[in-house]
Amino acid sequence: MATATQSQVVEPANIGWEQRKRKLLPYGYLSPTLLLLATLTVVPIVTVFLYSLFDNVIVNPNPPEFVGLENYIKALSHRKFRAALSNTMYFATASVVAHFVIGLSFALLLNSRLLAANVKALFRVIYILPWVFTASIIAILWRLLLNPHGVVNFVLLEVGLVPELLEWLSDRDLAIHAVTFINIWSGYPFYLVSFLAGLQGIPDDLYEAGHVDGANSWQLFRFITLPQLRPIIISLALLDFIWTLHQFTLVWMTTGGGSNSEVLSTYTYKAAFSSYEFSEASTLAMVILAMCTFFGIFYVRSQRMTDE
Amino acid sequence: MIGSRRQILVRKTLLWIALILGACFAGLPVLWMVSSSFKSNLKIFAYPPALIDESFSFEAYQAVLGDPGQLRFFFNSYLVAILVTICTVVTSIMAGYAFSRYDFRFKKILNLVIIGVQSVPPITLMIPYFGLIVWLKIYNTYTALVLTYMVFTLSYAIIMMTGYFNTLPRDLDEAVMIDGGGSFVTLWRILVPISLPGIVAVGVYTFMLAWNEFLFALTLTRTNDMRTVPIGIHLLMGQHSFEWNQMLALSVLGSLPVLILFLLFQRYFIAGMSAGSVKG
Amino acid sequence: MKRYMFALLMILLLAFSAGIAASQDITLEFQQWWEPELPEGSFRAILDEFEAANPGIKVETISGPYLTTKDQIIASAATGTMADVVGLDGAWVNVLWKQGALASLTQAMADADYDDSELAAQIKLAGETYMIPIANFIYPVFVNLDMLAAAGIDPPSTRAEFAAAAEALTDPDNNVYGWAQPLSLEQPNGIQNDTMSWLWATGGSMLDDMGQPNLVGNEQLAETMAYIKSLHDAGVVAPGSFAMKENEKVEEFVNERVAMIINTLAHFTLIRERNPDLNFDITALPAAEGYDGPRGLPYASWGIGISANTEHTAEAWKLIDFLTSVEGNSKLTSIANAFPGNVNATPDFIQTDELFMTAFEIFQAGYLANEFTGLPAAEELMRRFDEPFQLYLEGDMELGDFLDEAQAEWEDIFS
Repeated sequence: MATATQSQVVEPANIGWEQRKRKLLPYGYLSPTLLLLATLTVVPIVTVFLYSLFDNVIVNPNPPEFVGLENYIKALSHRKFRAALSNTMYFATASVVAHFVIGLSFALLLNSRLLAANVKALFRVIYILPWVFTASIIAILWRLLLNPHGVVNFVLLEVGLVPELLEWLSDRDLAIHAVTFINIWSGYPFYLVSFLAGLQGIPDDLYEAGHVDGANSWQLFRFITLPQLRPIIISLALLDFIWTLHQFTLVWMTTGGGSNSEVLSTYTYKAAFSSYEFSEASTLAMVILAMCTFFGIFYVRSQRMTDE
Repeated sequence: MIGSRRQILVRKTLLWIALILGACFAGLPVLWMVSSSFKSNLKIFAYPPALIDESFSFEAYQAVLGDPGQLRFFFNSYLVAILVTICTVVTSIMAGYAFSRYDFRFKKILNLVIIGVQSVPPITLMIPYFGLIVWLKIYNTYTALVLTYMVFTLSYAIIMMTGYFNTLPRDLDEAVMIDGGGSFVTLWRILVPISLPGIVAVGVYTFMLAWNEFLFALTLTRTNDMRTVPIGIHLLMGQHSFEWNQMLALSVLGSLPVLILFLLFQRYFIAGMSAGSVKG
Repeated sequence: MKRYMFALLMILLLAFSAGIAASQDITLEFQQWWEPELPEGSFRAILDEFEAANPGIKVETISGPYLTTKDQIIASAATGTMADVVGLDGAWVNVLWKQGALASLTQAMADADYDDSELAAQIKLAGETYMIPIANFIYPVFVNLDMLAAAGIDPPSTRAEFAAAAEALTDPDNNVYGWAQPLSLEQPNGIQNDTMSWLWATGGSMLDDMGQPNLVGNEQLAETMAYIKSLHDAGVVAPGSFAMKENEKVEEFVNERVAMIINTLAHFTLIRERNPDLNFDITALPAAEGYDGPRGLPYASWGIGISANTEHTAEAWKLIDFLTSVEGNSKLTSIANAFPGNVNATPDFIQTDELFMTAFEIFQAGYLANEFTGLPAAEELMRRFDEPFQLYLEGDMELGDFLDEAQAEWEDIFS
């Protein structure tokens, strides 16, 4: 391939071809990605979209019946859907905000000049621990910890922070917060790593200039660190929001969507594999897809602004 | 400029307090998991709980490591995760190069599509996806798992690679081109070697995701000789009772490769992530 | 080049001859969650016996975790990759039947000239059999004898006695409670095993004569629910009910924090393994005062069925025939600690284990009752009952409203 290109550069007659090739090249580089995504995601997505327009799909002996948008009207107007939607919004928003705060705080700690390199390396590994476990194990671990007779209640009781054993995962006022907490615990390391990276990318002379101007630590953080991290913050927050909307295993295996902690993903799963209403489940999937795409467009916009 | 010695001492103390509090938040639950994996199934639920009690033993680890079936899960996990990592890295390098160095007609739309595909909640796609895999005749093969995890990881991998290439000056490859090197040569001989941090970041991210995925690993395989560690963990959750200590032991063992990977490559990994996100 | 051609030819030839050899054997795929539940290798040993008795038929097991087996079978039925023979739970059989995924066993039995008089039960839908329970696990009450002795009481046999015993056994300061009721919405089978079972033990029913939901105006059901609420109100139920799962209920019992649980016999060995010092007995589920009819015993089954898509129906039936025969069924139920699906089979523990003898007596004095078996979306029925039930137990909903809502939800699923 390389030699072929060389010879073409030499011969001026081939310039037209060379230009065309330059136009086609990027598609060539993208072709494995596009081929894979086209077959393995576009086909199933289109199938699910079609399911959402029909009744009697998959587990029904009757032939599918075209119903248009009826499934959407039915699904969106259900009171349980609205409850799940508002829980999801809380779950996702709180997770994203907390991920951001914790991830950035830990990154700032680990970036301190007062620490030796090997200390940093050790704590970096400790801080990313929650990241290395599969979601079902995180769910099971936290069920153990948050069991009414688990170690969390024991410690809180001994310290005197709570008056009695709390039912973290089954109390209607606590469950959604407990699940959100678990998700926060399991998800912040991604932010941590990204922010660590971002902090290392900020040129030192910016801070030196700040010092010369007499800025204090807060001002340095507010006027140098945060603006420099802005592109990471935006892209992380949007991606994380989308990922949290998908979070199924953690919620399902801790509360099963009970005690007022139903989110869209558990609600959709139940529609499919418990009620066997696959039309309804497909409709819900398309609604989640639409929501995610909405945020995805923002994401691409923010990326483009970064590129410019 | 930095302050008196006393001020530094105060700062250092506060810093260490914060560091340790953070480490407790992150590490104590994991410590509990490790300690429970050494307990008997009875004592895991004891109240008041103890970090280490008289039931301490390596039994669960022996049970897991002495079972050829479990070791097979590890082998499969390694194989699949490594294959996925290689394929995703190569594919995302090519795609990242195209996005970073070329302007073409459908760039924006393709970019949106590639990011958009990860907006679909995976569980809802399960049945049609499963049908597709069966139709492609790759059901119950490593190929199915590798391709599936590539679909999951490619979006973010491409974003990272594009970002990393964007940080490298264009003069570099243009110089090579002028010297008569083709774009392919430029990419593999010039850009790839200096992009190692970015590649490691993509690799670690991909490996972790592939190592921990459960739902599709279960759906797309049918025999135990094709299955991965997360399924091994689930197989210990019986209809009526769980083998808690073995489950936890298997999770601890399963997390080690990922931890070691991070330990070895953390510097590269973090450097790679940085370029992916910050304007270079 | 020639060498390659030759090698290729050899490979093709080999493959061809291997194909001929293989084509003489029929391989049945058998998808179930039992193999991981049983002692290592013991299930395979039974299947090896089947293969030895039926030359030309091989059985390949496809085993998965129980919790996901249902989803896997539904997905494989939807994509035409279902195994020839499948393990079934009574709660799923209806949806698979609706999906057209199951073959009629009535037909298979007729083709094989099979005499079904030895079968303890058959699960029928629209008049034909689709599932045969081959191992049954009944759910009696497990009681901690030491705790009972310390409180100076006997195992309860009526609801009032049970409530009094639970009261006497509860000691919140030491984290000890009389009873545990798992009502997790992830696995809502607590509605079947730990809730409706009270109704069945008193001869009640949650369905009407037509098999339709009958939750409103059902005196016995309302009384049962009010009784359970009274236990919760009295504070004798272990905390965390609303997220508790079946396995956690058992962990509470083996850790002696709960004195009485309704529990499957399948847990016998497990409880003894976990806590060899635990001194426990089993007793029939308490009935309402004054009821002396036979008591319905909640149970769970390992059922078996044949895929509608299989090309080997006759061979698949042979496997079921073997597993339900006196010999095969005795062996399977012996290793599973289950009651047999063949009325003449005798698992060996019935003669050797005193607790199993008690269980067998309870089994013989009562009748198997699990009204959820074969109902449409049975698990979802339990879940939709569970949701308002939790509100009722919390005092956020009146009994009448709770049953009205559950009835409406159920009718929605039945229609």
